[in-house]
Amino acid sequence: MQFAPEAIDAAFYDRLRVHYSDAEIVELGAFIGFNVGYHTFFRTLDFYPMFTPDGRLVSQEESRRIYGDRPGSHRSASVVDDAAAADEKTG
Amino acid sequence: MAIIDPVDREEAERRGLAPVLDSFADLGDPEAIFPRILAHAPGYAEALWGAMDRASGEGGVDPSLKEIVRIQLARTAQDPYFSGLRSRRAVAAGLTEERIDAGSGVVSDDPRFTPAEEWALRYAYLMYRRPEEVDHSFYEEGKEHFTEAQIMELGGMIAIHYGMQVFMRTLQ
Repeated sequence: MQFAPEAIDAAFYDRLRVHYSDAEIVELGAFIGFNVGYHTFFRTLDFYPMFTPDGRLVSQEESRRIYGDRPGSHRSASVVDDAAAADEKTG
Repeated sequence: MAIIDPVDREEAERRGLAPVLDSFADLGDPEAIFPRILAHAPGYAEALWGAMDRASGEGGVDPSLKEIVRIQLARTAQDPYFSGLRSRRAVAAGLTEERIDAGSGVVSDDPRFTPAEEWALRYAYLMYRRPEEVDHSFYEEGKEHFTEAQIMELGGMIAIHYGMQVFMRTLQ
């Protein structure tokens, strides 16, 4: 939907119908469209998760250090790195 | 004809969607294709169109400017359906096709647009073409023309309309 919408044609929808009802396809399509729209917008706002992977509330600066500048799963952020960042902060 | 058949109009009305269908007549689609497609998923037509309609027509940013933005986005998404709709309110307020087309072109230094309008149109243009250029300095420039509330209003409007346009594009 985001990168090659021209590939989502009638044949593609026919293949979807093997697995999903029309109601489910509309639900999926609207959900995906909504997320394509909003996550691109959110990206421009440059904000980060409020919590570390183990649930500690952190500042935006610390969160950026933990999660990095590129999107990824919160599970991929290292709790070890988080602890190291905290150590560095406290000296 | 859409790839997913719209829900029968009487059935959509039976589900309480008559006001939504009527609002599409005002936009130039008396068949109300989009909400009748969304009607397959219970509650989606009311919720999503409600958000889109409020984002376009309410708030602190000129609705005519948002109409130009909306159509520019539909053209970016290559969605003929939403590209073809027009806000009756915006047209009544004097919005012309010439101005709409200008808003989809190169707006930098176009005397038809104020600096604030130019920024809003570049905001929409860059969001899904070169989002990496919508950075801190870009937002700082926007704050010279709009409040943060207005910028969030524009960003949210851009996001929901583009998202539904790119979905609708695949259904035609």
